[in-house]
Amino acid sequence: MGEPGKARRFAARLAALLAAALLATALAGCAGGGGTEAGEGTLRVGVRSDIVGFGFYNEGTGKYYGLEIDIAEELAERMGYADVELVTVTPDSRKDALLNGEVDCLVACYSVSSSREENFDFSPAYYTDASVIMVEDSSLITDVSQLAGRTIGIMSGSNAGPTLAIKLNELGVIGENVIENTDEGTQYEGVYVKKIPSYKELSDALEAGAVDAACMDASITQTYLDELRSILPTEIAEQSYGVATQKGSELSGRVAETVQGMLDDGTIAALIDKWD
Amino acid sequence: MSGKLKAKIGVLVAVALASLACMGALLYTMQSDLQLESCTYDMRQELEELSGLLEAANAEQEQVVSTYDAVYQSKADSVAFMANNNTGFEATDAKMQEYKNLLGVDNVMVVGRDGGLVAQAQDTQADFSLARYNQLRTVFENGEPSAAMEVELPDEGRWFRYYAAQIDDSTMAVVEQNPEELYCLIDETSSKASVLGNIGVGEHGYVFAVSAKTYEIEHHPSDLLTGADAIDAGIEVKNLEDGFFGWMDLDGERLYCGVSKIGDTYYVAAVPESDMVSSRVMTVGVILFVFFAVLAVVIMYGVFVMREDERSGHVEEDYANLGPVRFNKAVGKKAAVLSFMGFLAVVLISFYMQTLFALSSESTSGGERAADMEATIARYNEQADELTAQYGERYLSKAQVAAYILEQNPALATREKMQELADVLQIQYVFDFNAAGEVVATNSPYANFTLSEDPADQSYEFRKLLQGVDHLVQEPQADEVSGELRQYIGATIYGDDGAVEGFVQLGIRPERLENMLANVRLDSILDGVKVGQNGFAFAVSKEDGTFSYYPDSRLAGKSAVEFGMEEGQLKGGYSDYLTIDGERYFATSLETDQHYVYIAEPEADLMTERGPMAMAVGALSLLCQVVIFLLVSFEVRPSRKRPAAAGATGGEGDADERMFEVTMPSGRRAKTESAASRWLNRSLAWDEKTAEQKTLTVVRWLVAVFAIAVCVAVLLQDRLFEKNSIFAYILGGSWERGLNIFAITASAMTACVALTLVMVAQQLLKLLSSVFGARGETVCRMLASFIKYAAVIAILYYCLALVGVDTTTLLASAGILSIAISFGAKELVSDIISGLFIIFEGEFRVGDIISVGSKSGTVVEIGVRTTKIEDGSKNVIVIRNSEVSDVVNMTKKSSFASCDVGIEYGESLERVESILEKEFPNIRRRLPAIEDGPFYKGIVALADNSVNIRIIAQCAEGDRGQLERDLRREMKLIFDEYDISIPFPQVVVNQPKEYQEATLMEQLRADRFNTQQKEATKNFGEDEGERR
Repeated sequence: MGEPGKARRFAARLAALLAAALLATALAGCAGGGGTEAGEGTLRVGVRSDIVGFGFYNEGTGKYYGLEIDIAEELAERMGYADVELVTVTPDSRKDALLNGEVDCLVACYSVSSSREENFDFSPAYYTDASVIMVEDSSLITDVSQLAGRTIGIMSGSNAGPTLAIKLNELGVIGENVIENTDEGTQYEGVYVKKIPSYKELSDALEAGAVDAACMDASITQTYLDELRSILPTEIAEQSYGVATQKGSELSGRVAETVQGMLDDGTIAALIDKWD
Repeated sequence: MSGKLKAKIGVLVAVALASLACMGALLYTMQSDLQLESCTYDMRQELEELSGLLEAANAEQEQVVSTYDAVYQSKADSVAFMANNNTGFEATDAKMQEYKNLLGVDNVMVVGRDGGLVAQAQDTQADFSLARYNQLRTVFENGEPSAAMEVELPDEGRWFRYYAAQIDDSTMAVVEQNPEELYCLIDETSSKASVLGNIGVGEHGYVFAVSAKTYEIEHHPSDLLTGADAIDAGIEVKNLEDGFFGWMDLDGERLYCGVSKIGDTYYVAAVPESDMVSSRVMTVGVILFVFFAVLAVVIMYGVFVMREDERSGHVEEDYANLGPVRFNKAVGKKAAVLSFMGFLAVVLISFYMQTLFALSSESTSGGERAADMEATIARYNEQADELTAQYGERYLSKAQVAAYILEQNPALATREKMQELADVLQIQYVFDFNAAGEVVATNSPYANFTLSEDPADQSYEFRKLLQGVDHLVQEPQADEVSGELRQYIGATIYGDDGAVEGFVQLGIRPERLENMLANVRLDSILDGVKVGQNGFAFAVSKEDGTFSYYPDSRLAGKSAVEFGMEEGQLKGGYSDYLTIDGERYFATSLETDQHYVYIAEPEADLMTERGPMAMAVGALSLLCQVVIFLLVSFEVRPSRKRPAAAGATGGEGDADERMFEVTMPSGRRAKTESAASRWLNRSLAWDEKTAEQKTLTVVRWLVAVFAIAVCVAVLLQDRLFEKNSIFAYILGGSWERGLNIFAITASAMTACVALTLVMVAQQLLKLLSSVFGARGETVCRMLASFIKYAAVIAILYYCLALVGVDTTTLLASAGILSIAISFGAKELVSDIISGLFIIFEGEFRVGDIISVGSKSGTVVEIGVRTTKIEDGSKNVIVIRNSEVSDVVNMTKKSSFASCDVGIEYGESLERVESILEKEFPNIRRRLPAIEDGPFYKGIVALADNSVNIRIIAQCAEGDRGQLERDLRREMKLIFDEYDISIPFPQVVVNQPKEYQEATLMEQLRADRFNTQQKEATKNFGEDEGERR
C-alpha cells in the first residue's frame, strides 16, 4: 500500500462509473413504473433463492429458508404487517425490482456501499461478510499474486467486481486502468474479470477451468467449497448486508428503526446463530 | 350415610386423587428424566466415538484413493516407460488406442508442456492449457508421476481423474479415467453411510447426518430420507448446533436427538420417542395401577367399616381418644397392615418393572447389536473376497503391461531395466522367464531360479504359462523362503510368430490385503465394540470352549467354564445373565463359524435407574399411605354422645343371614359365610357383606380389571405394540428359559390371559345354567369346575415349561411316579390329593362345624394329610383326608334346638297353648343360650298314647345339645306346675280267676261227638276252608 492516494482515486473513478450506470437504470425504472405505497397489510420483500443459509428456495416444498427469510418475516411482523410476500430476486434484477416497486424492500445479500446508498436507503447492517477468492487446488494457485494474467469469475451484478479490482490494485496485481468493460467481463491491466450470471455456473466454470479463480462472498462459498478447492488467504473486502428500501420512501426510517431494534435486542444475533 | 361420613369419604377420595396425580407426575418425570439422562449419556459416548470412527473411515478412504491413484499413476508411468525404452512408441492416435486397450483405461494422451494435444486415444473435453491442469505439469519439474486431479461436471457428462507422467522435457503421457469405480468402493467401505450404518443408539436409535452447508440429509437409515431437505423434513435449524441434546421432529416422528458437528456435517444421534414412551407408559401404568389399588383398598376398607359402624352403633371401647380426635382401633389395626403391605407392593412392583424394562431393553438392543456384528463380519468377509479378486485383476494388468514391454523390446531383460520396470509398475519383483522356465532377468536376489518340476512346489503352477495358458494369478501364500505372505502373477510373452517365448512373473507383497484380512480377524472387530458404560464383547471358541477374545488378556485363551460360565450358556442366541470371573453380566450371544460371540454389560450398569426410582416411589407412596391411614383411622370426636342407632338389630333380623362369626382355633373371632351360601351361585348382596368381604370384593375386582387389561394387551399385541417393542419381546419368548424375570413375567401374563378366559367361560356357563333346568345346571357347574381345573393344570404346566422345567420328563416321570404310588405311598398321596381337593372345592373351612360320618365337631385344621376336628367334649378327632366323606357341613348362622313333648289326649290343647304363651318369655330369660324363641311349632304327631307338640329355639350350633336338654327340663317343670300330665306307658295288674275241671261223663261225651261229626262230614267240605 505504497500509494493510498492512488487507490482511493481509483476507487472513486470506479464508483462514479458504477453510479452512472445505476442512475441510468434508476431513472429508467422511475419513468416506467413510478413509486409505490407500502403493501396494504402485506410486505413484499425481495429475497435470494439460491444461497443456502440466507435465502434458499426449496422447489419441493415451495418454501424459502434462511437467515434473510427469518429476518424478513420478523421485520414484517414488527412493522405490523399481516403478511409477507417473498419475491425471488437475482443480483441482476434486484435493483430494478426495488426501483420499480415490485418489492418494498430487499433482504437479499445486498451489501451496503456508497454507490448503492446514492440510490437506496439502507438499514443498519445485519450481517457482515467478506469477499474471498476460491480456486481449484489443481491449479496450484495459492496466492493472490499468482492471479496475474488469469481470469477471475464473479457473479454478474454483484458488488464483488469493483471491490475485487480495488483490492487487486492495492496489492499491485493489476494496473489502474480499465481496458475494456462489457457485459461479459472487465479487462483490467493484468486480470480479466469474467461476469457469470449465477453462482452455479460460476462454480462450474471454475471446475472446468474456464475461470482460474472465483470471487464471491464467504457465506456463499460455503455452498460450493469442497475438498478439492481452497480459499485464498487474502480477503478482498468486508461486505455488510443491509435491508434496502427506496430512497426517501416512508418505509426507510421504519425499516432502519426496526432492524436496529432487532440488532439491539439480540434477535439478529440469535438468528445468525441459528443459521450458522 | 351421615353427612359427616360423606364429607370424610369426599376428603379421602380427594386425597387419593391428589396422591395418584402426584405419583403419576413423579413417576413420569422421573422416568423420562432418567431415560433421557441415560439416553444422553449413551449418545454423548456414541458421538464422541464417532469422530474417531469417521477419522478411521477417512484414513481408509484416503488409503483407497491413494491405492487407486497409484494404480493409474503407474499406468501413466508405464506409457512414459514404453516411450523411453524403444518399445515401438509413437505419438499417434492409433498407438494411444493400443495403449488404452492394453492398460484398460478410458483415454491415453500425449500432451505438450503448453497443454497442446499431441496424440489421443479418443477425443477429450479437457483443455490442458488452462491453469486448472497445472497439477499435471508438475511432472516437468520433478520427473515424478503427477498427483491425481479430478474434474467433475456431471451436467456436461464430464467426470474424470487425470494422471500424468513425463515422457521428455516437452511432452507427458496423460491417462484420463472415469473414477466411478473408485467412488463405488469408497461408498462400500469407508463412506459416512457405511460408518453410520454400523452405529446403533439404544434400542432402535440410529445416527443420521445433515450437511451444515445445504441442510440436506446426507445419510439416514431410510433411503427415502437420505437426500431429503432436513428443514423440509421438520428439523428446526436452531437445534442443529454442536452439543445440542433435545427433541426434534423428523418426517413426522418425534426423536430425542444429540447433535455433534464434525467438519461440515451435523451428526445426529436419534432415539424415537415411541421407543421411550412405550416402555415408560408401561412402567408408569403398572406402578400407578398398583398404587391406585392399594389406596383404593385401604380407603374402601375404612369406609366400609365406618359405615357398618354407623349402622350398628359404635362400641365405645373400639376407640382410643387422643385429644380432639379419636383413633378407631378396629379400623386402624387392619388399615395399618393393609397400608404397609401396599407400600411393600408398590416398592416391589416399581423395582420389578424397572428391572424388567432395563433387562428387556438391554436384551433387545443386545440382540440388535449382535445382528449388526454378524452383518459386519459377513461384510468384511465379502470385502476380503472382493478385494482379493480386484487385486488379482490389477496386478494381472501390470503383468500384461510388463509382458507387452518385453515382447516389444526383449533387450530390456537386464537387472537394471527390470528394477526400473518394477518401480514404474510399483511392484516388488519382476521376473522374466524364458521358454525353458528359467529366469532370464530379475531385480530380485533370486536370479538363478528355475521353475520347479515338483507339482507340490509353488512355482510349478507357472509351467502352465509355457504350455499356452495366457495368464495366471496365484492365490497369496506364504513364501517358501521367507515365510511372508506373497503373491505371484504371471503373463505369457509371445514372439512375433505367436509362439510362447517365456513369461513375466510379478512378485508382490499384498500388504493391503493382509491389513484387510487382519481387519476381518475377530479380535479386531470385537475390540471396537462398546456397549453402554462398561459393556464389551468377547468370544468363546466353539471347538475347545476357551475365550478366543476377551478384553482382559488374563482370561484370553483360558477355559470359559473355569471362569464361571456354564455349559448351557455356550450357545448362539443366549440372552440372560452369566457370571465371569465373579462378576455378573447380562449377555446376548450369536454364533459364527468358529465362535460364540457375546455382548455383555455388567449388571450394575443396567440398574442405574432402578434404585433411585424405587426409593422415590417408595417414599412418596409411604407418605400418601400415612396420610390416608391417618384420615381413615382418626376422626374428630363428636361433641356429644350420639344415641345408638335405632336400627341396631334391623339388619340382623333377616333369617336368611349368611354371614356370622365363628371362633377360630386361635381364639380370635372371625366372620365366615354359612356353608349353604358358599355353593350358591348367588353372591351376597352388597349390604350383607362385612367390611372385610367388601374389601376383598374390591380387591377381586381390581385384580380382574388388571387381568383383563393384561389379557387385552396380550391378545392385541400386534396392534397395540410395535413389532420390536419390549412387550413383544417378552411375549416372543426369545429369552433364555429359566427362573428369570422374563419367564416370570411371561408366566404371569399367560396366567392373566387364561384366568380371564376362564372367568368369561364361567360367566357364560352361569348364564346358560340359569336358562336350563336342574340337569342343565348340574352339567354347567361340572363344566365350569372342569374348566377351572383344566386351566389351572395347563397354566401350571405351561409356566413350568417357561421357567425351564423339562415338562416332557415331568410327564414321563409322572407315569413312573404313579406306578410307585400304586405300590407304596398310595394312601399318603390320596390323602394329600384329597386335602388339596377339600381346599380347592371348599368343602369346609377352618372354624366350620361339620360331621364326617358319625363324628362331628369344629374344624381346627385342614392339614396336608389329615383334618382335625374338635368335638363337643374338646377332644380332637384326627381324620385322614382320604376318609373325609359323607361330610355334612353344619356351619350356619343359627341352629335350632328342638324339643318334642307329648301330652295326654284328654288334656285341653288350648289350655296348654295358652300356658306356653305365658311361659315362653320366662324360658327365654332363664336360658341365655337362646338367640331367638322359643317357638311353638305345633303338633308333630297324634301318637298312640299322646299328642306330641314341638318347641324349638334358635341358638348357635355349639350350644344346641345343651339347650335341648335345658328345654326339656323347662317343659317338664312347666307341665308339673300347671298339672299337665305327660302320658307314659302304664301296666295294669289283675287278680287271677279259679277254673272248674271236666267230669268223666263229659269227657266221654266229647269223644263220641267228635267222632260222630267227622264221620258225618267226611265227603264234603273237605279242604274248602283251608284252600281259601
